[in-house]
Amino acid sequence: MNPVVSVTEFYFKYLRSGLVLKNINLEIEKGSFTVIIGPSGAGKTTLCKAITGIVPYYTGGDYAGDVKVLGETTKGKKVSDLAMKVGLMLEDYESQLVSLTAGEEVAFSLLNHGFPPDEAEERTRRALEDVGLPGRENYQLDELSGGQRQRLALASLLAVHPEVIVLDEPVSAMDPDGGESLYKLLGKIREEYGTTFIVVEHRVEFVLPYMTNLIAVKNGEIAGQGTCEEVVSRIYEDTELRPLLPDLWQIKRGLEISTGQRFRLWRSTEEAAEELRMKGFGKGVRA
Amino acid sequence: MEEKNNGAIPEAQDKPVPALTHVDANQEGYRWVAITAMLFAIGIILHTVSPNVGGVTPNWTIAMYAIVINLTRPPLKRALGIGFVAGLTLIPSSKSAFPLGNMASELCGATSCCLMVKAFALCHLENWRPVPFITGFAATFVSGSVFTFILKLVLGLPLRIWIFAMLPVVAVVGLLNGLITFGLFRPVKKLFYAQEGGDDK
Repeated sequence: MNPVVSVTEFYFKYLRSGLVLKNINLEIEKGSFTVIIGPSGAGKTTLCKAITGIVPYYTGGDYAGDVKVLGETTKGKKVSDLAMKVGLMLEDYESQLVSLTAGEEVAFSLLNHGFPPDEAEERTRRALEDVGLPGRENYQLDELSGGQRQRLALASLLAVHPEVIVLDEPVSAMDPDGGESLYKLLGKIREEYGTTFIVVEHRVEFVLPYMTNLIAVKNGEIAGQGTCEEVVSRIYEDTELRPLLPDLWQIKRGLEISTGQRFRLWRSTEEAAEELRMKGFGKGVRA
Repeated sequence: MEEKNNGAIPEAQDKPVPALTHVDANQEGYRWVAITAMLFAIGIILHTVSPNVGGVTPNWTIAMYAIVINLTRPPLKRALGIGFVAGLTLIPSSKSAFPLGNMASELCGATSCCLMVKAFALCHLENWRPVPFITGFAATFVSGSVFTFILKLVLGLPLRIWIFAMLPVVAVVGLLNGLITFGLFRPVKKLFYAQEGGDDK
């Protein structure tokens, strides 16, 4: 186990709220692709902000416990310094775009952190290439589509080469093609750079092929965590969390319970159909 | 991911909450600069386009820095800086006989606003709703009084002109500015400090 993020007995409340996070204990393994699920108001966004140091040091509030990123506590660290290690893309990613052109946007954080202009330029070029926006340095932001602006926000994170990237519902406003395309890109980045991803996602179907770990949050507490294989059964038992699992996994667990057989954790409908066919399901049923 | 008890959380869910450490929002690094710049920009535009009605025009710049000072509660040095910049921005558009007087008047206005905000905070009245109105009025009245007194000196006007003709107008503008400060304070606060109350989903 090589955790890049570890949260220990973490509690948090905003300045004018009740406890939002309670007794959070978790470790995120290097290179993993962790998906956080949970009902609305469960504390998922606050958990993401805690991992990036925004909570409690930027928002203010009351806390107990500790959050460590790459072995170092976030206590006393500036959010901008932590951003070099752990990048955050908010659901409202437009609010993170501050410049006029795509190139300036990506270079903004680099130059603020004192990177020489040449290196900032090279990193900007590479980051834009990585997100599928090559040569768009001089494009005005309003010349880019919504999906392209989201990729630009991602490029701004990638340019500083953080080891961990946290995304809060990145495909909430996207059509299915856009959602699949973004996660395909994240999967590629993870393979290429070994970046650790932590994603809050309601539409888990999009991320099925890439996710390695799952965390379920409910009422500010961790209701289940582990590798997908380990944690699905536990989440399925909770009637409030069950609908948040991908349909395929709900079917799998339902079949396991009703037939007593074990199935692999399907990552696609094709995979599910193949295993079911192999195990004799559907025989005698006309297509 | 470290697995714990088949994905279950091993520790009791009813574990007592430990003593929590309070942390103040650390958003003030450069945030006050952004807030000040934005409100000044709005103030300058409104100052330029506002019509003069019966010799009275609200001084938007003062209203804006009064909002800034109420919002960010700056130390005195920073308030002096805000007043200095406010004075600078007013000079180019000033139609008065002595535009440079704005420098002294805005320094005094910002200082008095800052001191009043601090005084209210000392009395634990910082969240009293009329505070923006009172401080907006006071800043404008002090600033206007200083400006018109400088004008009186420059133009050699009699003291009673200043007291009976100029100060009443200053007081009316002060009232207008107090109302503007009061009316805009809460919306602006909501806009800039939306996250403080907890916006978790």
